[in-house]
Amino acid sequence: MKADLEVSLIHDGTYWIVRHPTLEARGRTLSELDQDLTQRLREKGDFPASSQVTVFMGFDYDTIPTWIRQYAYHYFNRYVLLRL
Amino acid sequence: MAGVNRRWYSGMATTEDWWAVWLGLIMFLAGLTSIWGWDLVGWMAKTGTWVWGDFSWDKALKATGYQEWHPLLSLLVTYLVFTALTCLGAAAMKLNLKRFFAGWTLLFVMTWAVWIMGHEAHFKASVNEFDKYGLSWGLSLGGGFSYMLALVVGLVIGNFFKGFAEFLREAAKPEWFIKTAIVYLGIKIGLMSIEAASFTFELALAGIAATFVAYLLFWPIVYTLSRRVFRLSREASAVLSSGISICGVSAAIATAGAIRARPVLPVMVSMLIVIFAMIELIVLPGFYTAVAPNQPIVNGAAMGMTVKTDGADAAAGAILDELMRANAEANLGVVWQEGWILTSSIVTKIWIDMFIGVWAFLLALVWVYKVERQPGQSKVGVIEIWHRFPKFVLGYLLAWFVYMAIATLGPELSGTATQGAEVVEGPMRKMMFMLTFVSIGVITDFSKLKGMGKLALLYAIALFAIIAPIAYGVAWIFHHGMMPPTA
Repeated sequence: MKADLEVSLIHDGTYWIVRHPTLEARGRTLSELDQDLTQRLREKGDFPASSQVTVFMGFDYDTIPTWIRQYAYHYFNRYVLLRL
Repeated sequence: MAGVNRRWYSGMATTEDWWAVWLGLIMFLAGLTSIWGWDLVGWMAKTGTWVWGDFSWDKALKATGYQEWHPLLSLLVTYLVFTALTCLGAAAMKLNLKRFFAGWTLLFVMTWAVWIMGHEAHFKASVNEFDKYGLSWGLSLGGGFSYMLALVVGLVIGNFFKGFAEFLREAAKPEWFIKTAIVYLGIKIGLMSIEAASFTFELALAGIAATFVAYLLFWPIVYTLSRRVFRLSREASAVLSSGISICGVSAAIATAGAIRARPVLPVMVSMLIVIFAMIELIVLPGFYTAVAPNQPIVNGAAMGMTVKTDGADAAAGAILDELMRANAEANLGVVWQEGWILTSSIVTKIWIDMFIGVWAFLLALVWVYKVERQPGQSKVGVIEIWHRFPKFVLGYLLAWFVYMAIATLGPELSGTATQGAEVVEGPMRKMMFMLTFVSIGVITDFSKLKGMGKLALLYAIALFAIIAPIAYGVAWIFHHGMMPPTA
């Protein structure tokens, strides 16, 4: 699946946070996160207004404690379609 | 995005799962060179049986191949080779190399000290060997005593010397060690398949039944119990159900990822799983041996369905194998070949492991498109199945099939191929098991159960009142009457 934008995803105990060299968005739920990211992208203006943007959110496994990594090394990745 | 699994080959150099494959295949290939007359694994040390008051290094320790070597030289080379390989893996995995090296060295020394002690004749020798060693009494516990002693040493450190346990923690990686051992076990199963192909096929086939039971029977029962009786949230119920029903921590993480749960949830459940797996490991082998001493394969398969985490299951299977064979020799007058009971517990577990990716993918579809429906917004990639596939299984299957292929396509090579293989699937595999036992004890701190209240109670009820009895019943249905070949 081809993405227009790739960001890393973490959870800090309270918020889901996505980071990219030029932007950051957050939300208590993934829906809130998507809304916040949509808003940030609109404000940045890198994509045309009313366009659809496919975002790849790769979960950064460094979020999970080290001792668990021997049992599993993947959490999840998301592809999200945002309408600006 | 350093910690992100982006491509299909992500993690090949940096994860324990893949490093189990690499460590496994390096020794698999080294052992295979015996086909060309080389002995690249003969330096490996192995333990021998000795009698209290008559200790000598020549009796307690020896090289598997290089007979002219002093036993301690063989042990030193064993240490150097495995230290180099594990430190290479540790560096690639970005562990703290100095702490890993120091911890690994202490673990290695403790492991071999315990292993040698466990081979004292009064503990290990079977009743038929009493005359050979001049014994008037003995416990006849076989190699199982070494495993139990290793576990006790690890648990004492993990629960009473917590500072020391913390120091060892960087190197105490039971899942890494056991997955490497399971790749070595693939060689053993390959060799066993040569001798008893139809039996191995039956075992593999019966193991499939366990997969259906774990996913389609255990999971819904535990999920319903969590939701209806314990009133847990959908997310907590799903994560806990997978952890208890399927393959422990891996399943809890996979399920939590599939339903996009906050990471704290699988972390809490994982702590429960690790501690309860240790309780199962201590209780079940002796219990099964006592209540069903004439059902070796049923007991092994039940273990595979009941004990969560690969490390604890393989460890419990190994103890069960030793205890049941020693008991059968003493009380039933039959000598079963080593490894079949262990194999039945691991084959069952590996089937369950392999399908966690598929199960998590199905759960993800249900969650994304039904439970938290956001039409057209979020998509689940099929590659998520691959990311969750346990990679050590690839090494295990490769080793198994190569040795089966040699037996089938080049039977004249079987003899020479077996020479190298026996060192890898014998002393090397057992050393990795011993390291697993010490490590699994070191990382288990029972005091972590405090404060888990409702979750711990639910886990205990589900495990001992639902999973264990049903698993035993299903294992009996599919494996009843199967007996290991005699030695």
